[in-house]
Amino acid sequence: MHSFPRPQERHLAAQRTPAEGSCPECGSAELADYRVLSEGGWWDVRKCGRCLHSLSREPAPPFGSYTPLGLEI
Amino acid sequence: MLGVDIGGTFTDVVAVRDGRITVTKVASLPSNPADPVVEGARRLGVEGSTLFNHASTAGLNAVITRQLPKVAFLGTDGFRDILTKARLWRPLDAQTDASWRRSFGDSGRPLIPRYLRRGVIERVLADGTVMTALDEDQARRQLEVLGRCAVEGIAICLLNSYVNRRHEERLRELTQEVLGDVPVSISAETSPLAKEYARASTAVIDVMMKLMFTSYAGELDERLRELGFGGALNFADCAATLMPWRDALEQPFRIVFAGPAAGTTSSARLGEALGERELICCDVGGTSTDVSLVQGGRPFVNDTFSLEHDLIINALSTEISSVGAGGGSIVSISATGDVLVGPQSAGADPGPACYGRGGEAPTITDACLLMGILDPDGFAGGEMHLDAARSLAAFEALESRLDVHERIAYAYRIAVHNIAEEVTNVAVRHGVDLRDFALVAYGAAGPMLLPAALEQLRVKRIVIPPHPGLFSALGLLSTDLVYYDSQSAYMLLMPDAAPRIAEMFEAMEARLRSRVAAGADGVVVARSFDGRLYGQSWETPLVAVEDGPITAATVAAMIASFHEEYERRYGNRFEAVPVQGVTYRVQLIVPIDKVDFSSVPEGSSAGEPARQRIRTLSYFEAEPLEAPEYDRATLGAGAQVAGPAIISEGLSTTLVCPGQLATVGRLGEISIEAVSGA
Amino acid sequence: MTLIRDLESDAFADRYGCERFTATVLANRYRYIVEHVCGQLLTAAFSPILRDFYDFAATLTGPPALGYPTPAMNNSILLFTGTMTDSVRNTIEEYGVGRLEPGDVIIGNDPYRTGTHVNDLLFCRPVFSDGALVAFINLKAHQLDMGGVVPGGFSLTKRNVYETGLVLSPRALYKAGEPVRETWSLIFDNVRFGEILFPDMQTIVAGLGLGERLLAETIERYGLGAIHGAMSYVCDAAAERMSLALAAIPDGEWEGEDAADCDGVDDTEEYRVHVRVTKRGGRAEVDFSGTSRQARSAINATALDAKSTVGAAFKYLFDPRSPFNSGTWRNIDILLPEGTVVSALPPDGPVFLYYEQSQVMLGAMLRALAQAVGDAAIGGDRGTTDIHNASGVHPDGRPWVSAAQMGGEPGPFGATSDGDADTWMLSYQANGIAGAIEAIESDVPAVVLREEPVPDTGGAGYNRGGCAVMRDSLWLQPTDHNLMSLHYKRPSGFGVNGGGDGRTGGVWIWEPKDSSAPRPSAAVDSYRDAQPLAGVLHPETNAPDPDGVFHYPYRQSSWHTDPLTVLRYINRGGGGWGDPFEREPARVMIDVRDGYVSIEGAARDYGVVVLGDPEGDPEGLAIDEAETARLRRGHQSEG
Repeated sequence: MHSFPRPQERHLAAQRTPAEGSCPECGSAELADYRVLSEGGWWDVRKCGRCLHSLSREPAPPFGSYTPLGLEI
Repeated sequence: MLGVDIGGTFTDVVAVRDGRITVTKVASLPSNPADPVVEGARRLGVEGSTLFNHASTAGLNAVITRQLPKVAFLGTDGFRDILTKARLWRPLDAQTDASWRRSFGDSGRPLIPRYLRRGVIERVLADGTVMTALDEDQARRQLEVLGRCAVEGIAICLLNSYVNRRHEERLRELTQEVLGDVPVSISAETSPLAKEYARASTAVIDVMMKLMFTSYAGELDERLRELGFGGALNFADCAATLMPWRDALEQPFRIVFAGPAAGTTSSARLGEALGERELICCDVGGTSTDVSLVQGGRPFVNDTFSLEHDLIINALSTEISSVGAGGGSIVSISATGDVLVGPQSAGADPGPACYGRGGEAPTITDACLLMGILDPDGFAGGEMHLDAARSLAAFEALESRLDVHERIAYAYRIAVHNIAEEVTNVAVRHGVDLRDFALVAYGAAGPMLLPAALEQLRVKRIVIPPHPGLFSALGLLSTDLVYYDSQSAYMLLMPDAAPRIAEMFEAMEARLRSRVAAGADGVVVARSFDGRLYGQSWETPLVAVEDGPITAATVAAMIASFHEEYERRYGNRFEAVPVQGVTYRVQLIVPIDKVDFSSVPEGSSAGEPARQRIRTLSYFEAEPLEAPEYDRATLGAGAQVAGPAIISEGLSTTLVCPGQLATVGRLGEISIEAVSGA
Repeated sequence: MTLIRDLESDAFADRYGCERFTATVLANRYRYIVEHVCGQLLTAAFSPILRDFYDFAATLTGPPALGYPTPAMNNSILLFTGTMTDSVRNTIEEYGVGRLEPGDVIIGNDPYRTGTHVNDLLFCRPVFSDGALVAFINLKAHQLDMGGVVPGGFSLTKRNVYETGLVLSPRALYKAGEPVRETWSLIFDNVRFGEILFPDMQTIVAGLGLGERLLAETIERYGLGAIHGAMSYVCDAAAERMSLALAAIPDGEWEGEDAADCDGVDDTEEYRVHVRVTKRGGRAEVDFSGTSRQARSAINATALDAKSTVGAAFKYLFDPRSPFNSGTWRNIDILLPEGTVVSALPPDGPVFLYYEQSQVMLGAMLRALAQAVGDAAIGGDRGTTDIHNASGVHPDGRPWVSAAQMGGEPGPFGATSDGDADTWMLSYQANGIAGAIEAIESDVPAVVLREEPVPDTGGAGYNRGGCAVMRDSLWLQPTDHNLMSLHYKRPSGFGVNGGGDGRTGGVWIWEPKDSSAPRPSAAVDSYRDAQPLAGVLHPETNAPDPDGVFHYPYRQSSWHTDPLTVLRYINRGGGGWGDPFEREPARVMIDVRDGYVSIEGAARDYGVVVLGDPEGDPEGLAIDEAETARLRRGHQSEG
């Protein structure tokens, strides 16, 4: 996406998708997949909601869903 | 000739007579600071001496501890807070520290509390025209309030008074009408420079120093004369230049801090004798190391002096950078396990652990003792025994995964490294290449730490001057009388600016000459200006201005010198941009007698100098090193000592590292160089 | 994992490629290098915004193979810190690692790629050793102009990316040491004041060269293994410090919110930033859900700006005295919906006053974390930069500009457990040198009439917030004023631990009467004949009043005034810390004596009754002990 329309909703929320499994650190089943900004840029993570342990962290695109049109050529 | 250096703890008096140096140390007495000076003078004898040069850190100490006279400030109505706003910025290392406060702000410790800073209704514009006349009735009312508060002195700084000082002068008259004969400093007289904050703070410090020094200086002069002193009593300033004491009391802001700059002056003087014009000067004391620069034979001087962060005054001052690494610096371990040195110091009391006076933290002196650089029985001329067991216990008590020998070795190397990094910083900031420089190492701890920095610094060589512990004090006897004056006026440097510039220089030079005795020999007038590229908000200070009448050609030469100086400082040249003159400065230099670094006799034998004994140096390398020890007094000119070796003298120890060669020069200085291929 | 301090010597050397001593030395060395790169710019910069407001930052970044760690970053401007760790990687990856050669300088300025705003140009210098790419020396610095519809760029009415200025995707400014003419031309054909940008950019490139030389000497001395090992060490150490500090407070979830009043289109929409901080052990998560959508004009920020401010908030509260590096964020994850006012996207989420959102974000973060850290909480500051710009033409036709000189730029901090706050500061995320009044007046046809703290505006507290600053200026020629304040509807200087909020302020003008300049007093009744430009003000007196009427500052894109008009700014008081009714009466009396608190304010806000005349007899003040005790008892029984 290289052109982003202004959102209709006045206030926005980050998306978390519940995931299967349990946390190897604390055993909680409160796992979710979502995107975070941290050391090293954007990551797609699966994290435990109880202890914040990361089960996986994969690099996400550098500007999120925005891609400058020039980079699509 | 004599020099006295009054520090917070000790008053050092040094005398040079017929080339012989004598020294005495008296405990300082802040309640009556003249007493130890007179006592020192009595011990060394002042009869027949021509000079008594005086340096004191008392002014700065009074500011730092806020043991200050009760002084009030009068400013333009609406601007009584220029003293606490300062230049606004906070230090970069406090960027995320909400507990940082301006040390002299109203939530910190202001030099003058806000209720004694008061506004008077008046306003002068940037071109000198009066927008609002001085409201004399309102001013009198403010002065009456200050009278009720029993202030001892008044500092006055009104906006744009550097262009038109009439309101400040009238306000001084009103002050004396209302409050009688209290000391008053007005900013337009003290330092008529643009930028209200520094001018105001200079006036404040000036009136405080008047109150601190006026009766003291008179008393000191009288008591020295009673001892038979018939010469001149001079006071040193922040650049270690001198003024006769009565002149110093006309501009006492200049003497708020004197002492450390003398080491730089001493280095320049030694360098002159050695033919070395590019020097980096390192004074390693108990708590810190002072680094300064001599370029082209002259100390690097700034146009302001900082008493605390952003507490600046318009005094020419030798630029000195300090790093918290000295003999007493405390060794500690960081949260992530790094060995740290300083900035805390064990000071003289309790002192390093090895002093056995209750100090429990390990210090650099402890590390040097354990490494074998210091002799437990040869410290401070043998007057004090050092206890290595206490040093070791202190290092063992640190919480660290490192072996104790690593802790000791790291502590020494980190101290050397921190000093070396500060030296590098000074060099990089000034854009100089250290390979062109000799490093002068002095202060009691300098000779035992700095040779180890030679490899990292790659200076030409390290020079250990004669009497490294006294070297700084000798700087007081290595300097001239300097009178100076300055005046700001914003103007683009164009040919038609010449008459106005000429007028300013002539007026300042006439004022200064009137203060010098007629017939003084060798008087030199040095002009300079601070300018900026048009559009910049800060100045490039101290650009030289040639002698002779100021003409259109002089202005052209000023512009050319500005571009030269700009390029020297910053590496760029922007000749297409107009140059704006901001401040014009004159120095009148009157040469006086100075100390001579006299030659030492040549070594008796060209062969190997006599070793006293063999010492063992630990923790330098994997295995202990055998190092011969020499007595400095026995090493004549030309003597050479290959490292590892130790050269001892009364108050200092010089370490010659492996791969280094020390050579004694004709003035008794020890020159240490790396031996190629070693 | 073993803590760094507990590593045995061998384990340390295995992990970091050098002994501990060398790692310590190199950590210092990296800082010195970036400081010298900045030092060069600081001394030689042409433009006052660099020299006086430190609007630049330098970093040292490791090579792609190590994941671009940033072990050293100088602290000159906090607003850049979170962007620099990512923008170098984004810029180099897009340009192409394989295309880099020694002597290159790669630049870029797209806020959506590199954070902050288009005027902040990022310069990256790849450093090679024996033919291998080993590091980057980088500097991001504000340029005086980057094109767009407003000279200098400072305006919040720009509506889209096309109006904000020239966007430079990553490209070479120098290739193998040679200038790339088409890049220079692209810039100078599109920006104003090229003759000033040019020397600034040359100085920047010279600074990068200095950094490269210092790094090369360091590599020669210590070897590449140690150089790269120490980069990891420095980042690990910062991550560990932050993690240990987080672990030391109880786990929990805390929410905080702050808002900008409006954008530059109209005042129908408030832009709030909402954060929820979750802390478990040594880890934290910051979720921006509940934050407003992006604004319609250039008050937006981007995701990397959010990263900067989150880092700044954690540093302020948990690790205030050590420098930033990329490890600062290792144990902090930020959740940020796309298209918010702090994660705007092109082309309709224009970015220029990103720093105003940084203030709002910091307010939200500090409010949330105040609940977590107890005594270590810090009161809010003035919450906006209050920059005022003005311009006009001298009678002889020369244009003049006054930038960030005459508005509410100097203002207070909030109080902390350490004591009262200073009044004379920039905001928490800014720092800089204020121009001298005399220097300003020699350049600009204006006269400063007053520059003073306003009594009773600092948040009351056991420790008092700094007072708001009133600044009056007289404009001698026809002038266009550009306002940029966004924080009047709620106090920015929030109190903590029972401290009170600081007061809000406003902006007013007084027009000349009978061709003479008005001289408004500082008193509360001085505003009646003023024209309010900004603030929440009493409908009749026009004085600041939290229950008053909001005056939308951007109903004109700039305010034109006739000669001899007086402009007044009052910024906002800082927040108090702790219960004001527990402040020692003697300290309240000193505030009365010094004019920070009025006699009425002392009784109302502190329950301390001060007797006497602070103006005429400041040393004759006294405390009415009995009456004070009665007021304080009454307060207790109410509470």
